[in-house]
This record gives sequence, C-alpha cells and structure tokens, in this order.
Amino acid sequence: MDYGFRNYHPLTNFIYYIFTFLLIMLSQHPFFLFFTAIFMIFLNYLLDRGRQLRRWGKFVITLIFLFIIITPLINHRGSIILFYVLDKPITFEAILQGVINALTLFSVVALFFTFSFVINGEKLLFLFSKYFPNWALLTMLSVRFVPLFKRRLEEIRRVQQTKGDAHERSIKRRLKHGLLLIQILLTWSLEDGIQTADSMAARGYGLRKRSRYIRYKIEKKDMVLIILMSYFTGISIWGWFLGDNILTIFPILEPYFLQGREWFFFTNFIFLIGLPLLIEGKDAFKWLCWKRNN
Amino acid sequence: MAMLETKQLSFTYPDQKQPALDNVSLSVEPGEFVILCGQSGSGKSTLLRLIKREIAPHGKKEGDLFYKGQPLEKTPPLKVSKKIGFVFQDPENQIVMDQVFDELIFGMQNIGMETDEMRKRIAEITHFFGIHHLLKKETHVLSGGQMQMINLASILLMEPEILLLDEPTAHLDPIAAKDFLHIVGRMNREFGMTVIMVEHRLEDVLSFADRLIVLEEGRILKDGPVRQVINQLSDEKNHTFSYLPAPVQLYFHYSTNKQVEEIPLTIREGKKWVQQLNVRLREIPKKSVSRKQTIYSLENVDFRYEKRGDNILKACHLSVQEGEWLAIVGANGTGKSTLLKVMAGILRPQRGWVKVNGKMLRGTIPEIGYVPQNPKLLFSSDTIYEELSNQIPINNRDKGRKKLTELITFFNLESLLNRHPYDISGGEMQKVAIASVLLSSPKILLLDEPTRGLDPTAKRELGTLLKKLQEQNMTIVTITHDIEYAASFADRCAMMFQGAITVQSPTEEFFKGNHFYTTMINRMTRGSNVPEVITVEEAKEKWDLEEE
Repeated sequence: MDYGFRNYHPLTNFIYYIFTFLLIMLSQHPFFLFFTAIFMIFLNYLLDRGRQLRRWGKFVITLIFLFIIITPLINHRGSIILFYVLDKPITFEAILQGVINALTLFSVVALFFTFSFVINGEKLLFLFSKYFPNWALLTMLSVRFVPLFKRRLEEIRRVQQTKGDAHERSIKRRLKHGLLLIQILLTWSLEDGIQTADSMAARGYGLRKRSRYIRYKIEKKDMVLIILMSYFTGISIWGWFLGDNILTIFPILEPYFLQGREWFFFTNFIFLIGLPLLIEGKDAFKWLCWKRNN
Repeated sequence: MAMLETKQLSFTYPDQKQPALDNVSLSVEPGEFVILCGQSGSGKSTLLRLIKREIAPHGKKEGDLFYKGQPLEKTPPLKVSKKIGFVFQDPENQIVMDQVFDELIFGMQNIGMETDEMRKRIAEITHFFGIHHLLKKETHVLSGGQMQMINLASILLMEPEILLLDEPTAHLDPIAAKDFLHIVGRMNREFGMTVIMVEHRLEDVLSFADRLIVLEEGRILKDGPVRQVINQLSDEKNHTFSYLPAPVQLYFHYSTNKQVEEIPLTIREGKKWVQQLNVRLREIPKKSVSRKQTIYSLENVDFRYEKRGDNILKACHLSVQEGEWLAIVGANGTGKSTLLKVMAGILRPQRGWVKVNGKMLRGTIPEIGYVPQNPKLLFSSDTIYEELSNQIPINNRDKGRKKLTELITFFNLESLLNRHPYDISGGEMQKVAIASVLLSSPKILLLDEPTRGLDPTAKRELGTLLKKLQEQNMTIVTITHDIEYAASFADRCAMMFQGAITVQSPTEEFFKGNHFYTTMINRMTRGSNVPEVITVEEAKEKWDLEEE
C-alpha cells in the first residue's frame, strides 16, 4: 500500500500518532471527542474498510455502554439530578462525564487500529533500530524462529505419533510425551542453530558495527507535514492551557456548545486529527484527475 | 600467483586418532572450477571449512593455507569474510532473516556497507538472478531451490573472489539443482570467479568444471583435469567407479576405442558417441508378471492444511500392490510428502478414503512403518542402542530383542551402537531410522526421500538392503527426487503433479514415456540407432555389441 498517508516517512506517521494521542487525552470535551470518533471511524474505513473495527465492534460497544452506565452509578456529584437509583442520585453531569470517557476510549482504540495499518512491523523496527540496533536484530531473528519452532514441533508431534505413544490417555503419560517432543525439538534446533550461526559468521557477522539499511528518506512533503502538525498541536496545547479544549463539568457545568474563541481551537484541533483523511482524499482526487486526463 | 594454496595440510579432530586430512597439498588458480568428491568422511567438508576461516573446525592443524600468496591467518578478517564466500548444504538452516530482502542485505550490513551501495548491488543481483518476485516474500514460504538461490545471492552480494559450496544441491529436486548449478557455472564463466564445490551428483556439474579432485580418507587420491581423472577412475574397477555419471559408466563399459577427449560429459556428447555403436537387442525371456493383491488403495483423496487454504492433494488416486517397490517422483511442492503422511495415517484426508488390506485407515497403525524426510525427528535417545531398544514393542519383548539383533546385523550397525544418533553420517542415520521403524514388524515401509544427501556408495548400499527387505515380502513406497535411483531400484513409478498422481506404470515403461523427467541414459539413447534403455544395468542386460 504505497499511497496516501502510508506513503509518508514512518517518523512522520509516528509523530502524527503521538500528537493525536496527546490531544485526545487533553481535549476532554464531548464536541471535540465526538468528531474525533467520527474521523477515526472514517479513517478505519479508508485504510482497511473497517474490518478490524467490525471484528472488535461488539467488544468496543459493550465497553462504551459500560462506561456510560457505570460512571453515573459511582459518581454522584453535580447539580442536575435526573432520577434516583437505590436512593443515590443520578446526575446529568456524571452521565456527561461517562460519555466523555467512553468517547476518549473509543477514539484511542480506533486510533490504535489505524496505527497498526500505517506503521507495520517493518516500519516500527526501522524507527527503533537506530537507537536499539541489537534489540532490533533480536526481534527480527525471533520473528523468524518462533514460527519455525512452532512448525517443527508440529512436525515432530506428527512423526512421533507413528511410534504409538501418542494415544496414551493418562495425564502423566501425556505430559511425559510432551516433554519428549520438546526435548527432540531442542536437540534438533540446537544442531540446526549451529548451522545458522556458522552461516552468520561466514557472512562476517560480529566483525564490526553493522550498518543500517535506510529504506525511507525524509522528503519535503514529510517536513511540511511535520511543521504543520507541530503548529496545530502547539495551538491546541495553548487552547488546553486556556481551558477552551475542555468542558468544565464540576462544580458548575459550562454550556456544552462551542462559543466564540472555542471555535478557533476546535477547527485547529480537527485539522490535526483529520490530516490523514485529507491526505488520503487528496491522493484519491489526484488519481481521479490523472485518470480523466488519460 | 595461485588464488588458494594448501601446503601439507593435515587436520585431526579432537579425541580422534585418524586424521581427517592427511598431507593435502593443492593449489587453485584464479578462475578455476574445482570439484571435490569422495565418500562421506573423506575430509571434503573439513578441507572446505578450513579454507573459510570463520567456520574452521576446532582441532589440531598442521601445514599452511595461503590466500593469494599470503598466509590465510595473516589476512585481515574483514577481507577474508568478503573475499571467500561459503554456501552450505541445508537451504533452510543458513537463512537468518524472516524477509528475503533482509536476508540479502544481511552480509552487506555486517561489513558496514552504506545504503546507496547496498541498493545498487541488490538491484544488480536481482536482475542477474531474476528474483524480483521473491524480494518481498517471507523466507520460509520459498521452495528449497529458491532458498538456495537466495543464499547464493546473499553471498555474491559481498563480491567474493572464491566461492566455496558444500553439497549445495543435495536437498534440491533435479530441476532446481540444475538451475542452481547453471548460475554457479555462469558466475565462473562470465565473471571468472574461482569455485570450489563439494558434490556427489557429478552428472550435471562435470561439464562446467575444469578440475576434479577425489579425496579418500583425508588424502588426495586423484587430482587433475576432469576427463583425465575420470579416465583414471575407470581403470580401477573399485568403488570410486560408482561416482561416475551413468553415461560415463556406459561409455567405459561399451566403448571399444577409449579416448580421453571422447568421454561423454553431456548428453549431446553421449548421443554422438552412441551413434558409433552397433548394438543388437538380446532376446530376453519376458518375466511373467504375477498379479498380486492390492495392499493400499487411495480413492479421491483431498487434503488441505488450512480451512481456506488450497488443496494440497486433489482427487488423488493410487494403488499399491503387495510386495512391490513403488517410487513416487515429482517436483518440489507437488504434495508428495503430504501424500505419504496421508498414507501413513498421520494426516486424515478431508475427502476420500485410504484402505489398507481392504480396511479403512484411521490413524497410525503398526502395519505401516514411516520414515520422515528428516530422520532426526524419530530420535529421542542418547545412543543408538537405546534408541532401538526403546522401539521394541512392549507386548512381545523376547521376540523383539531377537528381531533387534537380527536388524543390527542386517543393517551392519554394530560399530555405531554407542554413538549419538546425530553423530553419524546421513546414510547411517537413514539405516538406523529404518531399523527402528522395522522393530514393530510393519508390512509396509514408507520412506520420504531416503537418499537425500547420501553419497553414491551409501545410496547403493541402502538400495540393496531395501531390495533384500522387499524379497522378504515387504511393500516399499518411496518418495524420491533421484530419478536414477528410482530407475535402478523401483518396480513401479508414479508421477505426482498438482496434488494428484498423473501417471503410474512399471519403471521401464514410465521413464521411456517421459521426455524431460527421465534418466540420462534414456535421454542419450532415445531416438538413436541403439535400443532405448534407462539404466546401465538394463543396457548390460539387453545390449549385444556387434564388432565391425
């Protein structure tokens, strides 16, 4: 998938996620969060047609309702009392707080789904290999060896079946059989591991510091995006500092529609959150234009 | 100046009396293509590993090694690791990374190369090898042949001057092996790369090579230009004769006027020589083929490993007669191993059925003995004796012990009993594995690639032993890549293609009907003036040479 937001440098992508996560946590305002949630759903649909979101849909919705229901049951502060449950007041403010929490949670979860599509394992390794080269290599080796051992164990199990020990029912015998399989796996893998080590040594491993293959280059468009994102984030943090990104609930509920200056900060916030959508949209539009001209 | 030189090189492994290498002196010129051959344990691999300093075995070394006139010990490590490349036997074990691309750049990263340089070299090598389509794949999904190509490419990216190869094609099917050897041949011819290769299967590689070295018990037995060494080997009618490719054996058997330059190394040369022969077909009484009972039958078998995966076996039909030796041949990835596992009852097909002796097969049964491609999977004990005695069935100890002693003598394992099952040669391991399976007195023996990585002597020995078993009314089914082996030993052959058996017929008929998948002798004699045969033995049986 080499187009749209994923076509940017991993670092650019990563910075977007850090900033967005930060702003979601800071902007505790239902209006802000509601639009964030909608944007995240859109982004999920654009990146993988919402498959991941739907797979986890039930779980996420349950969690949202739990938040909305449980928060007012625990939190009884606030002045607008709607009704009583077991002699405890249920307040409008508490419900609103529950909604804010639920929206925050949903936005963060949906954001992380898109994170895994945009920054895949290879990009993540690339980001960290500069600072943790040994860990990066180790991770890459385990990526190969864990599935390899799993395949081998399955093979051993199948072959050992033919020796007739497999149908033992008692737990003790089965445990013993299992240990035997592991033992064969270890002996075999150690023996083969020596060959792998030889192959590494034969290609000069450990002679000097390994160089890094730089797959991605920071281009002009990355710089532009990073500056833009920093600008939006800076403004938003200023807004948070002024209290405009936050809906004050306790002790007195602030009007929940946006007013005056708040609109400026909202627009600014929504631009940052919506950047990937804009970029995907721009690329799709460009493609359409190109197709028409050809 | 010689590219590589050894002077009176001797090497002894720790705790061994017999030296693995004894006074080996040889010198390899730049651009030479050298083949090392000899029985397992003759010291070929030891010699190759001593040349590659990073992986040299531990032990007592005497004598000197020179790289371009300079002692190898004194050459800087970085230079040695770049200039001397090494390709190992097992395609999978030498792969380090998960992704093909990462595997290719692994060596270059180790020597600290810059990204731009790496990109340039990768671009060149993918073009030369034609492996664009593999770059983004995971390494474990590749076939053995593709893996070995990636391994070779990964070494060549470091731009070596000497390429060392330790039986690189032992695990590949014949087509993949040929492709691999062709690339090595091209590296030698087009780039003047020095190549030293240990190889058993000489038939495909002799036409590329300049020089053949035969090692025996750590000493150089023969050393010289390919045809001359072959000529010397033919003079002595001993075990080294079996190393020679079948066309060469045929040549020495029938040629009336032997000339060194005429020895056929390729099919083309063979055909040319055969034209000079004047052969009459000998009258041989037809062997009466008695219809035997069908012991195995597979009907419409479908198998896939994953719910949504492709069918590995697709409507597969097969029948095996009692007491016959059936060889299943076919390229890698056509489902041969899966078929054998289904026959062994290890895998249960999703559709169709397997019947043994008329009874449905459900799960593994003692009547069927199965030896996997990698016999190590069977072994779990520290010594071979323990391994074998653990396999004696519990219900009949006394009979089992008697059988064990019989098998030890039959397979000639006395000297190995106290060794670790991993510590023996490939041929011996195969014998131990078969013996351990035979202890439960099966009637059918299923063998997955029994000849993989064996030297010609071991192969022949295994073949004769299996033939003897067959005379005791054992039914044998083997999967093999080795066409020559199937042609000399099997009674019937079956070809596997896309998950089904496409042809099954008696061996002779089978190979005479194939155009590409057939023996060298058959390709040589097909459409020529001599009667068509498939093996040297068949020729000896049927040909009558007429003197002019």
